[in-house]
Amino acid sequence: MKNRDNTGWIFVLPATFVLGLIGLIPLITVVNYSFFEIFILDARFWVGTDWYTEIIGSGRFWASFGRSTLFAALVLAIQIPLGIAVALCIPREKFWVGITLAIIALPLLVPWNMIPSLWLSLLNPDTGILGRLLPQVGWPADWKLSVVHTWLVIIAMDVWHWTSLVVILCYSALTTIPAAHYQAAAIDSAGPWQVFRFIQLPKLYHVLLMAILLRFMDSFMIYTEAFPINAGGPNGATMFLAVDLGEEIKAFNYGPSAARSVIYFLIVLTVAWTFSKAQGHLDREDTT
Amino acid sequence: MKLPLLYIPAIKRILLVSFIVFAFLPLVQMTLISFMATLPTPTTEVGTFTLSNYAGIWTNPNLRSAFINSIAYVLINILITVPVAIPAAYAFSRMSFIGDKHLFLAFIAFRITPPVVLTLPIFQLFSSLGIVNSVFGIGLAHCLFNLPISIWILQGFISVIPKEMDETAFLDGYSRPRFIWKFLMPQIASGIAVTAFFCFMFSWVEVVFARILTTTNGKPISMAINALFGFQTDIGLVMAVTVASVLPGAALLFAMRNHLSRGFKIGRV
Repeated sequence: MKNRDNTGWIFVLPATFVLGLIGLIPLITVVNYSFFEIFILDARFWVGTDWYTEIIGSGRFWASFGRSTLFAALVLAIQIPLGIAVALCIPREKFWVGITLAIIALPLLVPWNMIPSLWLSLLNPDTGILGRLLPQVGWPADWKLSVVHTWLVIIAMDVWHWTSLVVILCYSALTTIPAAHYQAAAIDSAGPWQVFRFIQLPKLYHVLLMAILLRFMDSFMIYTEAFPINAGGPNGATMFLAVDLGEEIKAFNYGPSAARSVIYFLIVLTVAWTFSKAQGHLDREDTT
Repeated sequence: MKLPLLYIPAIKRILLVSFIVFAFLPLVQMTLISFMATLPTPTTEVGTFTLSNYAGIWTNPNLRSAFINSIAYVLINILITVPVAIPAAYAFSRMSFIGDKHLFLAFIAFRITPPVVLTLPIFQLFSSLGIVNSVFGIGLAHCLFNLPISIWILQGFISVIPKEMDETAFLDGYSRPRFIWKFLMPQIASGIAVTAFFCFMFSWVEVVFARILTTTNGKPISMAINALFGFQTDIGLVMAVTVASVLPGAALLFAMRNHLSRGFKIGRV
């Protein structure tokens, strides 16, 4: 077992200091601002929890919340199974493993603000590869007017951008399975599904938990990539939580944007807490 | 029932190839446009093959300095993140101390906090520290998400090293810091490289902090590309810059390809 004393704090102190400076102090500032009406930073008035009641009471907040939840759910439902499937398909030969992984990871290297531009040019009806092919299968030229098509584009874009990360995570977990487990399965004449269900999947749990956490939170709070595709339209159908906050900050509404930030951080904390509970649950299953 | 099993390798191959094609589509599109004249000039017609977009990167001083800024802030980020993350990862994987689980939870919470939530106060904090419009500011701000991820990756690498190694070193009279420096670091060298690579990857492409922290100076590539959009956008040049911005990462990725999958083995305290 681990040594139980507090010298560990000395080792985490630098990290705590850095994250305290760039994480905790800004967070406290935001909490402070969220109770004030601020025109300029030197002149502010205490408004108590007015901003909070206003945001929580507005239909707009809950509509964005619903859209973000739906988006994150769809993203997880596609990316996690797809990521596992692709990770299982990666060739066994050592030479090809590295090359395949490197090729698959390429989308992660594109600057985020260019990703919408890439997809818009891909869908351009005159010059885009997909833009010239898709109308043949009934893709409308005015897809930006359609809620379903705009959502399809944003989801395809996010799947393109982030599935690679799930693949890398899953593949690295798969490599930790000793060959003896597969041999034992072969002796018991287990089928591919049983090998996956009883040997491969259990090894993936820990890494999948992390993948789900990262993918859930990053898609729930999608900001940079979502807005430029269709400017949040049609009719605000792709206005997500983080986009709302971004608009508020751009308008210099200090108080309301701070209150919104605090609400979002509370969501983050809830998710992180659920994650650590799930992790503790997995650990207990490992030891029993 | 036996017959479908024969098809499994073929199905796997098809799935993998179609995923790679899907991953390549936007990249192919980007490369195609980057070699295309997209604004009419006296010498070239729109839509013809040209190398002038790439030449345009070299002749534009803003773009050149943007590349240097990007490389600088990513290096600064790695130089802050890795030395801070190594002892923390060691502590989380080997030692038990009061509040360790909660601290790890707090770190993870900062990783998943969307940058847009903290943009305003970080801008104020950094301007009072005098590090806005500088590459140092961006490098530091990106620690918010890179530090927790680095600790997590390194922890996975440290956990697979047998504990007996620590104990033997302590019996030989090494202190913990000296043990980390002399024995642990060489053992996890590939882990440190993987960590640095992921820091590079997440930092290079980030735009929210990069945007608010560089209003006048120190603009990285992503912001230099943004500045190219205007009344008459030369989308060919935009795509050429994007291709060029992906190239350093692609080179690193290729160099790191055999270590990539070794980073995320454990992932728990």
